[in-house]
Amino acid sequence: MSGFECPGSRTMDFRENDKKVIEETGKRQSQLKQWPIQLHLVSPTAPYYQEADVVLAADCVAYAVGDFHQDYLKGKAIAIACPKLDEGQDIYGEKIKSWLEDAKINTLTVMMMQVPCCMGLLGLAKQAVEESKRKVPIKSMVVSLQGEILSEEWV
Amino acid sequence: MKEYLNKGVKKIITEFPEVAEILNEYSIGCVPCSVGSCLLKDIVAIHNLPEDVKQELMYRIEKAIYPDRDVKIPVLERKEEPLSPEKINYSPPIKKLVEEHMLIKRWIELIPKLVENLDIESDKQLFLDGVDFIRSYADKFHHAKEEDILFEYVDENLDITKTMLEDHKAARNHVKAIIEGLGRQDEEVVFEHLNAYKELLTEHMKKEDEILYPWIDRSLSIRQVGELFTKFNQADKKVGEMAPEKYEKFIAKLEQITFKQKEVKR
Repeated sequence: MSGFECPGSRTMDFRENDKKVIEETGKRQSQLKQWPIQLHLVSPTAPYYQEADVVLAADCVAYAVGDFHQDYLKGKAIAIACPKLDEGQDIYGEKIKSWLEDAKINTLTVMMMQVPCCMGLLGLAKQAVEESKRKVPIKSMVVSLQGEILSEEWV
Repeated sequence: MKEYLNKGVKKIITEFPEVAEILNEYSIGCVPCSVGSCLLKDIVAIHNLPEDVKQELMYRIEKAIYPDRDVKIPVLERKEEPLSPEKINYSPPIKKLVEEHMLIKRWIELIPKLVENLDIESDKQLFLDGVDFIRSYADKFHHAKEEDILFEYVDENLDITKTMLEDHKAARNHVKAIIEGLGRQDEEVVFEHLNAYKELLTEHMKKEDEILYPWIDRSLSIRQVGELFTKFNQADKKVGEMAPEKYEKFIAKLEQITFKQKEVKR
């Protein structure tokens, strides 16, 4: 045993946090305005991407951030992907480029978990924007394992 | 204290000069401001000071205004140093404006050398090229983006916006005087207004880089950031996308000339 454990798959237990949570009542409305959402499945020129503010979120983000719909999805178009496990990521790059050049998106926000393997999603987006003829502002947001926003900055 | 929070800073400084020193200590550069009508409460809010620093500042100002009042000393717990301008994470459109300032700053740094080493008769063309840089790059390419696009996203009645617009007007008046001076070959007038332009723009860009732009950035939605980015690109295309390259070359040439002259003088 080397003692090294991948931060992306290390077992962690947050059940203790249950005690701190204030019980809330009532239902929240979903802010999802499209289908599909997985990056392999979406068409980058779908109507909801035209001139939109797009969130490209790592698969785990929406599970970690408690108010993801209200705070980060509302008013935006989305696609999700996992830079660690997904195959065929060259297609992802092409789709991001198409968002910029064909759908003429307004901004791109990349939301990732804090684990190192997640940073690949930002790298993928940056490379696609670099290769694209049209540029847009990219924002990078890193989410902790317990759903806090650790950093939020323009790239 | 509420009465003073809603008062223009210049009036407060005139009444209580100690406040000027306090503001300077916190790098709040309102003292030399030409307008000075910003309200004290807006100034404190706009500088985005950490909560502990804000409390300390307000305590000291209140004490300066009411020395006999029993003002509660805030419990201070210094957390982190405020960000230096180099470390500010501007949004891409605002960053574009900050980068445009860099070329204008290089020009401004050259002004004392021009004044010292050149004369307006034999080097008239260089001065005219300098005026063209101010008019075409600093004003048409840069200030126009602020006036026609950026300030649309800010309350035009705010004193800080008015101050920035006043600075632009004052800069244009200096340029007008420089051109008239060049026409009359009046070296004194040309140098006087070049120096005044340098002073004005140095302070103006500092206020924008460190206070105004970060403040605007904090108030922009992600939608607005994307819109600004597109509008700035369209504005650049209208003026000519080669303008930055053309004027970058001009400044580099001027730097070389003034450097050589400095060497010859030695």
